[in-house]
Amino acid sequence: MSVADRIGHVLVAGSGLTAWYAAAALKRRAPFLTVTLLATAPAADALADRIACTLPSLPGFQADLGIGQDDGVTRTGAGYRLGTRFIGWAEGRPDYVHAYDGYGHPIGSAAFHLHWVRATQDGAVAPYDAFSPAAQLARAGRFVPPTPDTPFAGHDYGLTLDLDRQLAMIRAFATHVGVIEMPGEIAQVAVDTRGFVTGVTLTDGRTVAADLYVDATGPAATLRGAVDDEWQDWHAWLPCDRILLAMDPAGEGAPVLTEVTAHAAGWRWSSGEQRGIAYSAANLSDAAAAAMLGATPDAAIAIRPGTRPRPWRGNCIAIGDAATQVEPLEWCNLHLALSAIDRLIAMLPDRHMAEVEAADYNRQTLAEVERVRDFLAAHYRTAHRPEPMWQAVADTAPPPGLAHTLAQFAERGRLPFYEEETFTRDSWAAILLGQGLIPRRVDPLVHFTPPEDTRRAMTRMTDAIAAALPHTPAHAQWRAAQMRRLAR
Amino acid sequence: MAKVTNDKVRVVIVGGGTAGWMAGAAFTRLLSGQCSVRLIESDAIGVVGVGEATLPHIRAFNERLGIAEADFMARTAATFKLGIEFRDWGRVGDSYIHPFGTFGRGAGAIDFHHYWARLLREGHDLPPLDDVSYACKLARDARFDHPDQKRGGLPSTFGYAYQFDALLFAPYLRQLAEEAGAVRTEGMVVDVERDGESGLIRAVVLDSGERVEGDLFIDCSGFRSLLLGQTLEEPFEDWSRWLPTDRAVAMPCRTETSVTPYTSAIAMPAGWRWRIPLQHRTGNGYVYASDFISDADAARVLEEAVEGAPLAAPRQLRFKAGRRRRSWVGNCVALGLASGFLEPLESTSIYLVQQAITALIELFPTREMAASDRDEFNRIIDLEYDRIRDFLILHYHATTRDDSPFWNYVRTMPIPDSLAEKMELWRKRARVVKYREGVFLDASWIAVYLGQGIMPEGWDPRADTAATPDLLRAVGDLRAEIAADVGTRPGHRAFLERYCPMVAA
Repeated sequence: MSVADRIGHVLVAGSGLTAWYAAAALKRRAPFLTVTLLATAPAADALADRIACTLPSLPGFQADLGIGQDDGVTRTGAGYRLGTRFIGWAEGRPDYVHAYDGYGHPIGSAAFHLHWVRATQDGAVAPYDAFSPAAQLARAGRFVPPTPDTPFAGHDYGLTLDLDRQLAMIRAFATHVGVIEMPGEIAQVAVDTRGFVTGVTLTDGRTVAADLYVDATGPAATLRGAVDDEWQDWHAWLPCDRILLAMDPAGEGAPVLTEVTAHAAGWRWSSGEQRGIAYSAANLSDAAAAAMLGATPDAAIAIRPGTRPRPWRGNCIAIGDAATQVEPLEWCNLHLALSAIDRLIAMLPDRHMAEVEAADYNRQTLAEVERVRDFLAAHYRTAHRPEPMWQAVADTAPPPGLAHTLAQFAERGRLPFYEEETFTRDSWAAILLGQGLIPRRVDPLVHFTPPEDTRRAMTRMTDAIAAALPHTPAHAQWRAAQMRRLAR
Repeated sequence: MAKVTNDKVRVVIVGGGTAGWMAGAAFTRLLSGQCSVRLIESDAIGVVGVGEATLPHIRAFNERLGIAEADFMARTAATFKLGIEFRDWGRVGDSYIHPFGTFGRGAGAIDFHHYWARLLREGHDLPPLDDVSYACKLARDARFDHPDQKRGGLPSTFGYAYQFDALLFAPYLRQLAEEAGAVRTEGMVVDVERDGESGLIRAVVLDSGERVEGDLFIDCSGFRSLLLGQTLEEPFEDWSRWLPTDRAVAMPCRTETSVTPYTSAIAMPAGWRWRIPLQHRTGNGYVYASDFISDADAARVLEEAVEGAPLAAPRQLRFKAGRRRRSWVGNCVALGLASGFLEPLESTSIYLVQQAITALIELFPTREMAASDRDEFNRIIDLEYDRIRDFLILHYHATTRDDSPFWNYVRTMPIPDSLAEKMELWRKRARVVKYREGVFLDASWIAVYLGQGIMPEGWDPRADTAATPDLLRAVGDLRAEIAADVGTRPGHRAFLERYCPMVAA
C-alpha cells in the first residue's frame, strides 16, 4: 500500500458522545489521520448520546485511548453501575438482578445454572441472583472494583454518566489530541453514482470533503441517509417506540443498581438525575406516559426499532443511532456505538474502499446488533403480563436466533454459541431464569454431583458473599473516597 | 415440569476403530451413571485408521479422560507435532509450515503479519517466515519442548499435537472404556430394526442372531455409514467439485531421515502425499483424484517416493468429500467417517470426532430424544465442517501450479463464495475473517496465504507509522531471539527417548 492509497481525512458528523468518542478514538489510535468533527446541532433523539446508563465497555474503551479512571470516571462525576434490577416483568415472581458478574461457579463438570435448576426442582432455593457477588453488592447499595482474593473479584461495572460533564471531557480530550472541531449544519450531501459521498455543503455555503465519512448525527443519519435508506424493522419484537426523558436535579445520586419497572405498555427507569419511560405509542398516550414518569419530560422521542443492514456503504459509515435504534433497555446504545468505532479502527480502509471490507464490517456488525436485539427481545418474549402490548409480543414468533436460544434453554438450560455476542452466558441465564423460564429437564452432567453436595457448595457461595459484604463500602462512600483522593 | 428419569440411556456403538472407542471411552468415563455403553465390532472388518496426525485439541480430550501424556505416547508410539509442512503447494520447490502457534511475539495492538506484508511489499530482503515463528523454528530444527506457559514470552507462543499409531490408539482407548464399564461384543450387524411409527432404531441384529436393543445408536461404521446412511438414508452432500481427491493409497515404511516434530504434506501431480513420522516407523500415503491418475500408477508413485523399506503392502482407500446432511437423525448419531469425510490434509478427522463427542456429551439425551438437542448438535457440526471445508479448498486453489491437469483444475475451479470473500479480504487488506469459534483461527490462515504466495496489496494503515529501519531491526532481533532460545531445547528424538519411549507391543 503506497502512501497515496492511504486515507488522509476523516469527517465525523455529529456533536454528541458518539461523535466525540469516534473522533477521539480515530485520531488517537490512527494519528496519521486528519480528523474533523463537523459539530452539527445535538440530536435530541440520539439515545446513544442521551442515556446516562452504560454497559461496562465504556471504561475499557476510554482506557484504550489513555483516559484513566480519574479523568474518565471520577472527575466527570460518573457513578458506578453493577447491574439492573427488573421489577414487574414476570408477574408472580420476585424481582431479579442482572449483574455484570458470574453467577455461582461450576460444580463438577456442569455449569452453575444447571445445578440451580435441579435445586429448584428439589425444593426451595435462594433466588438465582443470590449467587452473584456483584448482584448482592448492588442490592446492598455497595460498591468495590474487582478485588482479587475476595468474592468480589470477577465483576465488571458500567457507569451512570453526568452526560454534560462526560461530553465536555471527551471533547476536551479529542481537541487536545488534534481533532479539529468545525461548527456547521449540513445543507446538502453529494453522492456519486457508486453511492460514494463526494462532499458536504453546509448551510453557510462552505463545502467540506473527506476520504471517509462517519455519520454520528443520530437517527436523522444526515450523511449515510443520503446514500440509501435500507432498514430492517424489529418493531414486532421490541414494541416500545417512544421514550420520555426527564432530568430531576433534586434526584438522588446515581444508584449502583438501576431499577427498571415494567408497566402496562412498556417500562420506566430511574438512574439518579435522569428518569425515563419507554412505551408503545399504540398502547399509551404521551400525556399518560408523562404522568407515569412523575416529572416534566423533554419532548417525546420517537424510535424506530431496527437497524441498517449495511451501516457501511462506499465511503460512509453510520454509527450509533444513525446505524441502529433500540430502546435503552439493558443500556446498549452507547455500547454499540463504541463497538462500531473499535471495529472501524481495526478495519480502517484505504482509498479504494473495497466492497469486501465493508461487507465484512457489516457482517460482524449485523451479527452483533441482531444478538443484542435477541437479548432485548428475550425480556419481552419471556415476560408474564396480561396487558395487550405484552400479550402481542408473547404471541409473535421470535427471530430465528432467539427462537433457537429459547428452545435450547427451555429444554435443558443450554445457551448456544453465537458469534459477536455482547452478553455473556451468565447474563442470558440471569434474565431467563429471572423471568421464570425454567428448563424442562435437568442436564445429565448435573447428576454426577449428589444433590447434597450441590446444596453444600451453594451454601458456601452465599455464605462467602454474606461474610464479605459488610467489609465493602457503600457506593456513595466509595465515590466520595475517590473524589477525596483526587483532591489531595 | 418433567421429573428426571433415573433410567440409564442404553448407548449402542456400532463399529470400533478410533471413532468408536473414542466415543466408548468418553461416554463411560464422563457420563457414568447416565448411560450404559455397548460396543459392537468385528475383527473381520478392518480399521481405516489413517488419522494418525492430530490437532492440539486432542490434548484437551485426553486430559478430560484422565489420560497421562507420557503413558499414552509410549503406548501409541507417538511423536510430537508442532505443525504441518506443505511442500510444493504454491509452486514446485516451495516449503512452508502451518504452525500450531503464532508468527511474531503474539502481542501488540496490530498483528505481526501487517508489518510483514508491508515489508514484503517494500521489497526488503526478509528472513524466511519460519524464522519469525517460534513453533516453525522449533519444528524446522527438529527440536521439542513443552510450551513454557509459566514464564510466557516466545517459548509460550505455540501449542502442539501428536502423531500416533491409530492402530494402537483404538486398543488404548478400548482398555480405558472397558475398565470404565463398556461392554464389547464381537459381531457383525446384519439387520437393523426400526419402530414402524417413529422410525427410531430399536435394535441391531448381529450375525450370531443376538438382538441388541438400545436408546441411542452411535454409528461408527466408517465409510459404510451403516445406520445413518444405509438404514436411515440421510442424504450425502457432495463436495467433490471443490475437493476432487477421492482415493488414497497408504504404506508405512522404515524411517530413514528424521523423526520430524511435524507432519509433511507434499503436493503430487494428482493430489498430495503425507509423511507422518512415528517412533517406530513412518506413515505414508498418496491422496489422489482417480479422474487424474490410475490406482496402479498412484501405488507405484508412492512406493517410489517413500524414504525407506516398506513395512507393509500398499493399501487402498476410497472416499468422497462431503457430509451427511444431518449427523444426528432420530436416535442415531454418526461419528467420524460415517457422518462425512474431509481429506486428512489438515489432520481434522480425529478433531471432528472429538468435537462431535463433546457436543453430544453436552447435549446428551434422555431416553426420549428431544428435537431441540438434535438441532443444536447438527448446527454445531455443520459449522465445523463448513469452516474446515473452506480452509482445505484454499490449499488447492491458492496455487500457481500448471504442471498437471489436476492442478489446472483446482487452480481454476469455481470456489464457494464464502472462501472467495475471505481471499479477497486478505489480498486487499491482509485481513483474516475473524471468528471466535471454529478450528482454524488467524495464524493458520495467515500461514497458508503467505506460504502459498498470496501476497496482500494492503494492510492495516496503522502498521505504516513505524519507521522501516526500526521494523527491520525488530525482525532481526525477533529472529535472533527465537533462534537462540530454540537452540537450547532438546532434539525431538532425544526428548521422546527420555520422556515416552515406546512400549514394545
